[in-house]
Amino acid sequence: MSGSPNAILEVRDLHTQFSTLDGVVRAVDGVSFEVARGETLGIVGESGCGKSVTAMSILRLIPPETGRIASGSIRFEGEELTTLSEEQMKRLRGHRISMIFQEPMTSLNPVLTVGTQIAENVVRHLGVSWKAARERAFEMLDLVRIADARRRLDEYPHQLSGGMRQRVMIAMALSCDPQVLIADEPTTALDVTIQAQILDLMIELKEKTGTAIVLITHDLGVVAETTERVVVMYAGRKVEQATVDALFEEPLHPYTRGLMRAIPRLDVEADAAGTRPRLQEIPGLVPILTQPIVGCAFAPRCGFATERCRRERPPFVDAGAGHLVACWEIDSVRRVA
Amino acid sequence: MSDGPVLQVEGLVKHFPIHGGLLQRQVGAVRAVDGVSFSIRRGETLGLVGESGCGKSTIGKVVLKLIEPTAGRIVLGGEDVTALKPGAMWPHRRRIQTIFQDPYSSMNPRLASGTIVGEPLENFGIARGAERDERVAQLFRRVGLRPEAMRKYAHEFSGGQRQRLGIAKALSVNPDVIVADEPVSALDVSVQAQVLNLLIDLQEEYGLAYLFISHDLAVMRHISHRIAVMYLGRIVELTDKRTLFTQPLHPYTEALLSAATAPDPKRRRKRKKIVQGDVPSPARPPPGCHFHTRCLYATAECRMTVPPLIEVAPGHHVACLRRPVGGDPGPLSIPG
Repeated sequence: MSGSPNAILEVRDLHTQFSTLDGVVRAVDGVSFEVARGETLGIVGESGCGKSVTAMSILRLIPPETGRIASGSIRFEGEELTTLSEEQMKRLRGHRISMIFQEPMTSLNPVLTVGTQIAENVVRHLGVSWKAARERAFEMLDLVRIADARRRLDEYPHQLSGGMRQRVMIAMALSCDPQVLIADEPTTALDVTIQAQILDLMIELKEKTGTAIVLITHDLGVVAETTERVVVMYAGRKVEQATVDALFEEPLHPYTRGLMRAIPRLDVEADAAGTRPRLQEIPGLVPILTQPIVGCAFAPRCGFATERCRRERPPFVDAGAGHLVACWEIDSVRRVA
Repeated sequence: MSDGPVLQVEGLVKHFPIHGGLLQRQVGAVRAVDGVSFSIRRGETLGLVGESGCGKSTIGKVVLKLIEPTAGRIVLGGEDVTALKPGAMWPHRRRIQTIFQDPYSSMNPRLASGTIVGEPLENFGIARGAERDERVAQLFRRVGLRPEAMRKYAHEFSGGQRQRLGIAKALSVNPDVIVADEPVSALDVSVQAQVLNLLIDLQEEYGLAYLFISHDLAVMRHISHRIAVMYLGRIVELTDKRTLFTQPLHPYTEALLSAATAPDPKRRRKRKKIVQGDVPSPARPPPGCHFHTRCLYATAECRMTVPPLIEVAPGHHVACLRRPVGGDPGPLSIPG
């Protein structure tokens, strides 16, 4: 199965595993998706579902002492990344694919000014002079709407607020015009009003630069407001994939449905008496990933599960217009509103 | 007394000194809480919502008397406990308990979970030995844990189960008030729903009052009856939840509601104005209305005068000079 010509990044049947004292953790267990040029793809799921490990696998940042990409393929602009040397990957990271993380303070160097850090990336990848790179750093800080950018070039990370540090990370990530930006929980550590500013900035810059964004988050609100397509992950596997409108209009996988009903909604009116509606709980716990999962990973917590669900891993079915769902009982699920 | 507030605070102030210079003299103060008043009735949840540094967690610590207030009064079940020394405070501690964001950090890793939950029972001389164990088993069942799990240690539980342990411990001494500081923020969505449902059930069963501290507006709207919105140490708006979400009057509340994300892709297309800039430092808050530096509607007066929190409509308190009593609740105009 070869990807569409429009895909810039194709992940096929990715398996990433970690060796621990308790056994082999199948953190990513056969995940496939592609990212089209200039699109925003959301990867959503709860802790331990493998969303961050998927991102780290794409950038080949899995620590070799404990983890490895066991099998599968990751193609970027047609080039296979899983077999590239570390030197070749270094030329790619921060240049054609870049990444921002939840906590910018841990990714910024505390003893270098932000101007130097951005310029360093530009010099390394684009081979321009320091003077030109510093000018580029200024342009980037200005682009991410840091006020008084010229002066901020000479400041250190600790002198900036959390929101500003995340802007600096975005400036650095975009400084070499990457084709893909991977953002792992970029606003989770930020306050609500600052989160809104950063999300708006990312969307605006994406439209300006044409960089595709892979946005990894646990927050369905962030997904709904910023992405175009969504992959839902559970226990290391993709369970559903759809356009953002289709996913929120009619979630099809029982897990996705469960998630959406478990969150308190800001946009749902309480009744006149102010009665608090009960949130729907998902019973049980996520499976332990050191044990092989037979059948559907969600079956033990699923109200629709049958004998077949516990025995055979469900294939993806196209429920219409590319809305993919891995569920044997999709017909029964659909009958229930 | 049964109809009076179970917890009341008046004019609460908490300043943390900033020391500097060679002699480490006090050179300033962080005004974490700057004159806050509210009360909570039996069976009621008052939500405190605001962004980092607004003072919501400090209020929680002060009403628990974990730290001493700089000024103001704390009245617990009709008794003024503000000036009580730790020894004299002891009998009152039964009435007010707490649940933390990360219960794990407050649990002794070497004690069995049953011992942890039963500790307050012994400390307050409520039950010992077999009677204590029986009470703990009941508590375990009530919060949805199996009594056999009493022998397990904290690290053997999942995050949601640990939060249930924390709730069982808080519940063990039959408190009137529980201060819950971000109790579901560290939990996954599916587990968060379980804990929120449990908190609501327990409130209805025991008539508990909650002081619920959170940054999450959706969680707040779900669990609270009334909500106080805080900004840099002050309450800027306080009203019942329905009014707050349908007719917010303070520009900061409006900004918060507008910035919150909703799981609805259609909503992004109608997102309104987003407040710009960062929250100023509570060590150097702006004069006048603290919010004026980010407020679209601020006038010259807002930069000088501290707006009092006034009741503009029954039960609806707002601290905004541009929202007079009985004024038009419609949108404010942006000054020239």
